[in-house]
Amino acid sequence: MNEPATLGEALSRRGISRRAFLKYSAYLASVMALPASASQAIAQGLAKARRQSVIWLSFQECTGCTESITRSSSPTLEDLIFDLISLDYHHTLMSVSGDAAEHAREAAMKENKGKYIVVVDGSVPLKDDGIYSTIAGITNLQMLKDTVKDAAAVVAVGSCAAFGGIPHARPNPTGAASITDIVKDKPVINIPGCPPIPEAMTGTLAYILSFGKLPELDHLARPKAFFGETIHDRCYRRPFYDKGLFAESFDDEGARKGYCLYKVGCKGPIAYNACATLKWNHGTSFPIQSGHGCLGCSEPHFWDQGGFYKPLAAHAGVSAPLIGAAAVAGAAAGGAAAWIARRHQQRYLAETEAIDRSVGKDKG
Amino acid sequence: MTQQTRHTHTVPGCAEPDGPTGMMHALLREIADALERFVATGEVTAIDMRGLPLSDADRVGIEQQLGQGEVSALLTVAGQSEIWETAISGVWWVRHLGASGGVAAEEIVITRLPEILATHPDDARDGLVRLRAMLAAPSADTTSPHIATTEDAA
Ligand code: SF4
Repeated sequence: MNEPATLGEALSRRGISRRAFLKYSAYLASVMALPASASQAIAQGLAKARRQSVIWLSFQECTGCTESITRSSSPTLEDLIFDLISLDYHHTLMSVSGDAAEHAREAAMKENKGKYIVVVDGSVPLKDDGIYSTIAGITNLQMLKDTVKDAAAVVAVGSCAAFGGIPHARPNPTGAASITDIVKDKPVINIPGCPPIPEAMTGTLAYILSFGKLPELDHLARPKAFFGETIHDRCYRRPFYDKGLFAESFDDEGARKGYCLYKVGCKGPIAYNACATLKWNHGTSFPIQSGHGCLGCSEPHFWDQGGFYKPLAAHAGVSAPLIGAAAVAGAAAGGAAAWIARRHQQRYLAETEAIDRSVGKDKG
Repeated sequence: MTQQTRHTHTVPGCAEPDGPTGMMHALLREIADALERFVATGEVTAIDMRGLPLSDADRVGIEQQLGQGEVSALLTVAGQSEIWETAISGVWWVRHLGASGGVAAEEIVITRLPEILATHPDDARDGLVRLRAMLAAPSADTTSPHIATTEDAA
């Protein structure tokens, strides 16, 4: 039997109608905040597209990103992405195949030269010639360079691939680097998060397939559709922040009343991500809804930001009464949080750059 | 499918604010404007409900205000979808359910018939291929048809 030419053909061979595309495109338009009218164009684009070859490389990581994207067991709307892409190589999922898996990667690269997408989770160790992480005897750095050479684009999923993540945390013993530190001659999209929201990963891949181009990105190469607003912008506890009503500890009256978690360390004001709208576990909840502040896991160096339970103002050397007063002032609150966020980010970026220099990141 | 069996957005035990926000009347006015355009020019409008800052009370209120019309359908493709015409003719509610039955996408569509209910011409073509293959098979027993796919025909 011939390989189906288009995704439309591939689905119909499995007895799935074009309605699946209409349904998926309505879902995609919704999660990417595209106008509902865009969903027809997406459906047509998907039906005519070819199955996208994807090579997934896993480097210094914890497998949480793969868990996030493959979380569901029964075929559902969200899982349709696996009909749209051909996951030709996934290091973790195919590890038992040993040598055969490496041949599959090489074959996919040859067959889809210039067209395949490389998804990377995990950071790349550069110190001591990258010996701290190898696959089939090949260093992560070498495998990345070899695989990316003929790719159309690279998607760095998870905060480790996007920004170095936990392996990059001080003192960064392996000289861990992000993908954008190494790949300079291909388009790179960052989908950070620890782990990233599954819809942000699948939505971005489906967008590329439907429109044949990359989605709009922010200054950190993150798709604006998912990372265009802070958690704080869309947080349902925001009215409490604006009124200056805060939980002071995790078990006080304020916590029980659902007050803002800023003073117990919430990093929502500096975290650009879609948890507050898309949520987790099939839209059930997200950390703030479960009573815990946001860790800011989709931001660079979130692990080194001075403590998950300290308020942002404390890191930036701002006294609590100042932010409290700004918060009570309502409209000024967003501005105060943004100012603290900038100051806070600048200080950590400067510190982290100094560490990177000391481990010789420029080796790659 | 009845109004009572439909899925709702409410997550028990979660502390999200659920009172009315005033969005309901704004949205109903937007729907009225879209319906006016549809009547005058045939322009179809789809409103993404997830993109709007609606509370649970708003959603329930809008569903109650628009009511239940004469047509409802249950779609089973990549999970289920619930589609019904509201009591306001020309205003359809389309709710796609994702994993674990949660609401993955939800639209109010102002149209004659939501496109997803109609058979796509390509699917009709595939259907014809299957039916012809079924009839051509030597053991074709039309009293208990084998559910053929285009894979059988290919
Ligand atoms: S500080 Fe955190 S809990 Fe408070 S409103 Fe902002 S995001 Fe929500």
